[in-house]
Amino acid sequence: MEDKTIEELFKAQTPNFTDGADFMARLTKRLDAVEYIRQYQEATLRRYKIAMVVAFVVGIISGAFTIAFLLSTPADVPLLTFNVQKGYLLWIAQNSRVIVTTALSLLMTIGTISIFSNVQDIMRMRGSMRTLQ
Amino acid sequence: MDREEFIIHAEREQEALRGFLLALCCGNKCDADDLAQDSLVKAYLSCAGYQDVGRFRSWLFKIAHNTFLNHKASCRTMESIDDAKTLVSTNAADAGFQHQSLYLALRTLPPKERSAITLFYLSGYNIKEIAQITQTSEDAVKKQLSRGRDKLRVSLSI
Repeated sequence: MEDKTIEELFKAQTPNFTDGADFMARLTKRLDAVEYIRQYQEATLRRYKIAMVVAFVVGIISGAFTIAFLLSTPADVPLLTFNVQKGYLLWIAQNSRVIVTTALSLLMTIGTISIFSNVQDIMRMRGSMRTLQ
Repeated sequence: MDREEFIIHAEREQEALRGFLLALCCGNKCDADDLAQDSLVKAYLSCAGYQDVGRFRSWLFKIAHNTFLNHKASCRTMESIDDAKTLVSTNAADAGFQHQSLYLALRTLPPKERSAITLFYLSGYNIKEIAQITQTSEDAVKKQLSRGRDKLRVSLSI
């Protein structure tokens, strides 16, 4: 199996490195840079997660308050009233409950999409960090 | 494995790693050192998952082998092998090799055969270990070694 000639050729040509210290100094610098990037990425991810949790809690509380407010007001009383009796303002005042509910639904939809996208971002960041590792 | 421990291991293994990559890069010391640095950084980043206690060199060579294959895949060389004969090396490490003919002969081998031959003859690994490092079967390694040897014999006229 072994071919002695080739083996001897390889043995005779084993390189001798004299710049080991330079190589290690370069490596240490690179490891420092990598460590800095890793810590920065971890800090960013942590901040991102905290921001997500805060946004989620604020969204839940404000949503609950708005729904509670809508439910607590009488159904036949408009939510908004304007002193000026113009055509479109009157229409807004009359349909204020529907308008507020629609706006709230829209906001919740956008919020849900945004949260979903942020979660995907976090997963991607975590994935890229794992790949880096 | 913490940072200090990794650096101690890296310092101990850097010569073997650089020698292995220098042979894979056919004497191109700059490329070999860059790949060695990349391999060590990759190893550092994944050293938390390192479990093969006492087999650091094999683990490092596995990373280096993959890094070399990725490097080869990313840069397709268009230069002719014949041109290499006219190149005169100024590197001290290259000068250490009295016969550049081995590098030229290694250059004729495909990357996987070159890895198998280098691991077998330069680093002294057996077929089973080479199969683990290169993540192939033992039969594939045997074939690579056989083909590589034949090609080297032709190139070196031995």
